[in-house]
Amino acid sequence: MITPNPTFQIALLILLAPFFGALIAGLDRKITARMQGRIGPPVLQPFYDVMKLLRKEPIVVNRIQVVYAFLHLAFMALSLILLVLGQDSLMFLFVFAFSTLALVLGGMCVRSPYSRIGSQREIMLMVAYEPVLIVLMIGMYLVNGSFLLASPIAAARPMLFTLPLIFIAVLVVLAIKLQKSPFDLATSHHAHQEIIKGLTIEYAGPYLAILEIAHFYEIALLFYLIMLFWASSLLIGALLACAAFFLMIIADNVFARLTSIWTFRFMWTGALILSLTNILWLYL
Amino acid sequence: MHETREWLLGGLVLIPILCGGIMAARVPKGIRNLLIVLGGMTTIACSILLALGGTQRIALHPSLGIAGAVLEPLVGALVCWIGLRIRSRLICAMAAMPLLLTLASLLTGNWAHTAETVVVIDSLSLVMVLIISIVGGLITFFAIGYMDQHEQHSTPTAMDGGSFLGVLVAFLGLMNGLVLTDDLRWLTIFWEATTLCSFLLIGYEGSLESNNSARRALLINTFGGTCLAVASFVAERDGHGTLSSLLTSSALLPLALMAVASMSKAAQLPFQSWLLGAMVAPTPVSALLHSSTMVKAGSYLVLRLAPALDATVLGGIISLAGAFTFAAASAMSISQSNGKRVLAYSTIANLGLIAACAGIHSPLAFAAALTILIFHAVSKALLFLCVGTIEQTIGSRHIEDMGGILFKMPLTTTVAIIGMASMMVPPFGMLIGKWMAIEASVDNPLILLLLILGSALTIFFWSKWLGRITTASYHHKYTIEKVSIWMSSILLIMGLAVLTASLGALPIQRYVIKPVSLSFFGQYGTRTSLSLLDSVDAFLGWPLLVVLGAILISVLVGSALFRKSHIRLPYLCGENVDTPEYSFIFRSIADTPSMALLNSYYLSRVFGEQRIEMICNPIAILIVISLFGVIFQ
Repeated sequence: MITPNPTFQIALLILLAPFFGALIAGLDRKITARMQGRIGPPVLQPFYDVMKLLRKEPIVVNRIQVVYAFLHLAFMALSLILLVLGQDSLMFLFVFAFSTLALVLGGMCVRSPYSRIGSQREIMLMVAYEPVLIVLMIGMYLVNGSFLLASPIAAARPMLFTLPLIFIAVLVVLAIKLQKSPFDLATSHHAHQEIIKGLTIEYAGPYLAILEIAHFYEIALLFYLIMLFWASSLLIGALLACAAFFLMIIADNVFARLTSIWTFRFMWTGALILSLTNILWLYL
Repeated sequence: MHETREWLLGGLVLIPILCGGIMAARVPKGIRNLLIVLGGMTTIACSILLALGGTQRIALHPSLGIAGAVLEPLVGALVCWIGLRIRSRLICAMAAMPLLLTLASLLTGNWAHTAETVVVIDSLSLVMVLIISIVGGLITFFAIGYMDQHEQHSTPTAMDGGSFLGVLVAFLGLMNGLVLTDDLRWLTIFWEATTLCSFLLIGYEGSLESNNSARRALLINTFGGTCLAVASFVAERDGHGTLSSLLTSSALLPLALMAVASMSKAAQLPFQSWLLGAMVAPTPVSALLHSSTMVKAGSYLVLRLAPALDATVLGGIISLAGAFTFAAASAMSISQSNGKRVLAYSTIANLGLIAACAGIHSPLAFAAALTILIFHAVSKALLFLCVGTIEQTIGSRHIEDMGGILFKMPLTTTVAIIGMASMMVPPFGMLIGKWMAIEASVDNPLILLLLILGSALTIFFWSKWLGRITTASYHHKYTIEKVSIWMSSILLIMGLAVLTASLGALPIQRYVIKPVSLSFFGQYGTRTSLSLLDSVDAFLGWPLLVVLGAILISVLVGSALFRKSHIRLPYLCGENVDTPEYSFIFRSIADTPSMALLNSYYLSRVFGEQRIEMICNPIAILIVISLFGVIFQ
């Protein structure tokens, strides 16, 4: 197998990942529309949205808000790089978490109650899902004997068989990160879920475009994370990730919103215990 | 060469005590400030010179051993007398213990143990001396400016400012003595002396609240001190007069007693209440004693014990107690809106993390504990000083009142943002420590779980606070706040120190922490734990630089793209009222101006202090009891 130059790999990732993410987002919107009996926007609609946003007049509330938007984007791209280059898994999580944190702080630093509510809910969500992701990394360590994210690729058996319960818990985390119902309480993609936008309400124009691009990176990152569960074959991994994303769309159309404290309880009891059970038999 | 070493020790221990003693004698303000600078500068210079000299054992004059044996019951008698003064029989009874023990050792005939008094300068004590002298010295300089303001509106019952600062400076010497001595009696003396400092400083205001807090602090810490005295008595009976010889023995009882002493000093659950009460003291006290140094004496002791806990259940239980404290204290801090109490809980949590690592017994865990010890001392001291400065300016220490301070006091707030970021953001030292701690605990599922839960909870209160202080409406002109030059310069120096320390995380890790941890634990390292230690190095290479670059570029690009003409008022569900001061007033029903306001989530029904205490304190007590249970099994 040819191992490409890391610099080349990084450049390729930074350039192509947002396009891939946007494509997935476009497909998501199309499929959702079909499920709701609408024709839906063209698959390339997310591109058009971002292009238009970028050309609009920049509007902000204060200076720090802009800095936070860039921090969010930079750290999201960085965490994707750490993930794909197979770096230390916990450090990847911390960088990823800080990216979300920058988004939260961007929402909190303005004097808008809507934005602040969104931010606080997003923090609740972070606290809720973070343990599950750490448990996933611990599980990876126990299975592969290394904290490096490159290790699942070298493993003989797909992780789906060794970490099945953690996979289920990670699916829930996926729903939270993709802002899908019932966990789309910080901000939602759908008009029927909220009267006033949450977390990102005070971002507009090019700065909103930056958040959108960061979300494209995030989609690519999550896709890759799911692929790791069947890392030995690129094709099966991709199919697994597609299936997981499709499941998210179904869930999105089936459920209504939960409250933040309920989400927290659900994650710390249901999902966390599920993944801990998986860990338990790996220790034995 | 030996001579200079002894002079350095004198400069570290005696000079600050001497300076403090003179200051307590009500000298004029000018001389007082001069003495603080003299004491602080001497300790800083001596500590650096001592560190440059490397590790060594120094045998001091044997008469110091006798002096220790005489002084120990005297300190006990002093605490006893204070106990009588504040009418606490319990303190009296506990402080009388060293007296009784001295009597017992006189009767059994091993009172004046002939062991020479030794000072051990090894890498652990050097790290501690550097923290105490440099961070502590800077805090005393800060205190000059702080007390100038504080004294102007202090209560009539308050202690005189000179004595207050004197105790603060003398404390530096006592604390240096504590980490340098190898003699168990001197360790007990210094331990109890730092407790007394803490008692005096907490009681500074002289109000009912501060008196009660001081009494509680004295009670709990005297309990710990008594445990230590009993431990040293038991060890001496077995013929171990020094800490280093005790660690080679297989006696478990003294180790367990010392672990309890360290838990009480480090305010671990169930002893945490005194540290929260201690927050009534002026901020320099909280920064110096109750976050960066005195409570670290507990962590120091447990790290000292760590090599002796090899393959004992004791180590596992110490680790469990620490991890449990980390999770519980992090949960309790969520419901706190008082900034100093949040910092106190976070301190308790991080000290728990250190104890958890110390008990795990691997080079990586020890390295994690050291990393947290060092970076926490700097960052938390900085944060306390920031809260103190903010409190003096806005008159409140509540997080919810800190909205918009970025505009009112840009300098302090920027430093506070750096301090908070350094507690949880990659690539700052604290996060690296936490990362190493999680990787080190991977073979201990229960501890691992507690660390995971705790570190998720810490995100909550830091982000809430960080979000609050960066909240700002747009102002076209920032005026730098007027604070005393002593305070602003120290804030700047420490803020820069935190930033450079994160830049230098790799060299610090490679050339300081790793060798120290290997020198203590090299022989215990399993292959995996050593390779994990190496992977820390690997990460701190290019990824660290990329992370730093990402932060820098985002901040620069973000600020450069900003234009004043881009400013709009936030959406408030009604027409904004354009006032120069506030931009969150809007026209509500019938055109009446209303203010939009939203406080942060505190979730007191889930994370309420009392609710969690009710569950966690009994569990913590059970853990402490089991510490002794394993000895007698």
